[in-house]
Amino acid sequence: MAYTLKAHMPGLVARVVVEPGQNVEKDQELAVINCMKTEMRCLSGEAGRVDKILVAEWDEVDIGSDMIILEN
Amino acid sequence: MLKVVNGGIEILVEDWPGRLGYMGLGMAAAGAMDNLALQLGNLLVGNALTDAGLEIAGGYCEFEATDTGVLALTGADMSAALNGTPLPLWESVAVEKGDLLKFSHFGEKGFRAYLALRGGVDVPVYLGSRSTCLFGSYGGFEGRKLAAGDIVTAVKDSSAAGGGTSSVTGRKLNPKYIPKYSNIWELRAIPGPNSSPDYVTEEGMDYVFSSPMKISHNANRAAYRLEEVPDYFWARKDGGKGGSHPSNIVDHGYNMRGAINVTGNTPSVLIADGPTLGGFVCVANVINADLWKIGQGIPARDKAAFTLVTVEDAIEARKERNAMFEADDLFLS
Repeated sequence: MAYTLKAHMPGLVARVVVEPGQNVEKDQELAVINCMKTEMRCLSGEAGRVDKILVAEWDEVDIGSDMIILEN
Repeated sequence: MLKVVNGGIEILVEDWPGRLGYMGLGMAAAGAMDNLALQLGNLLVGNALTDAGLEIAGGYCEFEATDTGVLALTGADMSAALNGTPLPLWESVAVEKGDLLKFSHFGEKGFRAYLALRGGVDVPVYLGSRSTCLFGSYGGFEGRKLAAGDIVTAVKDSSAAGGGTSSVTGRKLNPKYIPKYSNIWELRAIPGPNSSPDYVTEEGMDYVFSSPMKISHNANRAAYRLEEVPDYFWARKDGGKGGSHPSNIVDHGYNMRGAINVTGNTPSVLIADGPTLGGFVCVANVINADLWKIGQGIPARDKAAFTLVTVEDAIEARKERNAMFEADDLFLS
């Protein structure tokens, strides 16, 4: 199974705070989006291991954009 | 009447016209980002146009009713559901204790939804308004956005609340008055005070009125930042005594709300919680009747398209808006 973290707001990727191969818990912060001059935390909806990171700092994302894929 | 279960992105108590008369002291007027949706919501639940409601930016929030009441949801469609059933927009609905109201997120068009509660949201009136000034941390609900556990009540002794709930339940806005949403928001604007020929070239002003500008991700209740203007925008080579860049001028009071303020080559529309003065040019001003559209612009996606109008046009548009609120056919029932 795989879980994909999707952007919950449009904006710029402020940072990704996990690395490939890292194990993460449900509700753990995986990345941060800048929108409305506010940093918005992107929390994982599921536990798993980080498989692919699809975004980098300063990338523009829209709502629903794929950001990080977990294996679980 | 409503307990916040999940605060989502940003829920604020706002009214209209906000906190007027204190700009000289550096206090922005605050107020609803989409005053049209808030005011129509107020009318749907039998409130005064000036009553306070909840402004929901982005979505992802959830409420539980702590009492019976009547509410109306207006503005952007966020696929809201009442006890799992889609909640209609632009219509007043009765709620019972324990009802759950859940919002998804904004969709293709529009960024802010409004919840009007019969009686109006009951927070202390501060300097003539119930509006939250988010960046000043005053007004509204403890000067902040709502968070899980907060309980918002309606004014019990308002003239609206005295009439019971049955008379307004099910009141629907006539579809012809539902505001038209877009991804390119036409904003009628009046040039000045710092425009051509003194500060901006004719070609620069033509650019403003002919080039839709993308709204930045850095758009919030203080300012909606837009895509940069070209260098030929400027009539001066520098800002003279105001500074080194031609966008600089000696500090002056900003025209609010709706000023198109340019900092460097970056324009921003100054709105609700925006700055009241500063040292950058204000090249034009969005007319009062179109301010609501700015609040519905989706950051990092939508565009603003300015249209040149006259002061007379602006006054006429404001009269039309006021007439609409009084129209006999505003509601279907």
